[in-house]
Amino acid sequence: MKRLWIAAGLLVMLLLASLGNAYYARELTGGMTDRLGEALTLAQAERWEEAEALTRQVYRDWERHHTYFHTTMRHSDTDQVLRAFRAVMEYLAIKEMDQYAAANADLVTQLELLAEMEQPSFVNVF
Amino acid sequence: MFTGLIRTVILYILIIAGIRLMGKRQVGELEPSELVLSLIIADLASVPMQDFGIPLLTGVVPILTLLSLTMILSVLTMKSVRFRAVLCGRPSIIIRNGQMDQREMARNRLTVDELLEELRSKGYTDPSMVKYAILETNGQLSVLPYANQKPPTARQLKVAVEEGGLPLVVVSDGQVLSHNLRALGRDRAWLEKRLQERGCKSLEEVFLMLVDESDAIYLARRAV
Repeated sequence: MKRLWIAAGLLVMLLLASLGNAYYARELTGGMTDRLGEALTLAQAERWEEAEALTRQVYRDWERHHTYFHTTMRHSDTDQVLRAFRAVMEYLAIKEMDQYAAANADLVTQLELLAEMEQPSFVNVF
Repeated sequence: MFTGLIRTVILYILIIAGIRLMGKRQVGELEPSELVLSLIIADLASVPMQDFGIPLLTGVVPILTLLSLTMILSVLTMKSVRFRAVLCGRPSIIIRNGQMDQREMARNRLTVDELLEELRSKGYTDPSMVKYAILETNGQLSVLPYANQKPPTARQLKVAVEEGGLPLVVVSDGQVLSHNLRALGRDRAWLEKRLQERGCKSLEEVFLMLVDESDAIYLARRAV
């Protein structure tokens, strides 16, 4: 019976860890996408420096959680987010609104999809 | 390269630990659930080993999940006869009193050729020599011949035979296995005396030495 409890405990632990990971991924990327949205609003109001500072802050946040993303998500997906960040910051530097808006939307979508992949939903399971 | 090396070591240790936890039966005789587990684990482990773009966790988590499930199932099969029958199936009697049960053969998708091959491998050329042939849940065919087809035993022949006991390895490749020597109630001095009697000057000369409970000794010298 001891083996049964160990195995059941391990399964429950894995389940809780996966649910915890889903929640954490959503919270983390949710905070990032919100701030990227704010940065877009700032850029639309021609406050480019503030928009760039906010985006850089989000990028640093992403870098700080690099180990987490790299160990739990597919590396191709995290690499794509990294590329999108770099593109957004380049367009911010040259203050090119149309290109920046498109790249920012792409980055937000990438981050949303990253968290979406981890969610315990029917669609994801099947 | 480094990633591949570390991942391989981690996954290998994980699988060995898992197989070890499942018990010795896993190694030799696979039940259907165990066979499925082995096939899936091998695939799950090999993917993150080769593809560095996939996190190691995507291999580790499913393996741990599978091992946990298997452990739960193995405990439940030990506790419940009904559950065991559902998961592992029941043994099927293929030959009864020398007659092949064709319905059972069809149900188990066992052809006549396969049955005859199995019987031949066990030393029976004709199904009529067999009282029962049972297809076990692990796919092995157990053959029980008629009493008049079995070789006579020493008891049936009323012959007195000496009981040898279990031979234990005392020296393996020049190394003394002290725990086996102790289990036999002997010591190093006894061992050295026996070796001298057989013309061995040192342990290095011994490749294998077996001793049973009645002190019968088998000695193989190391090839020069």
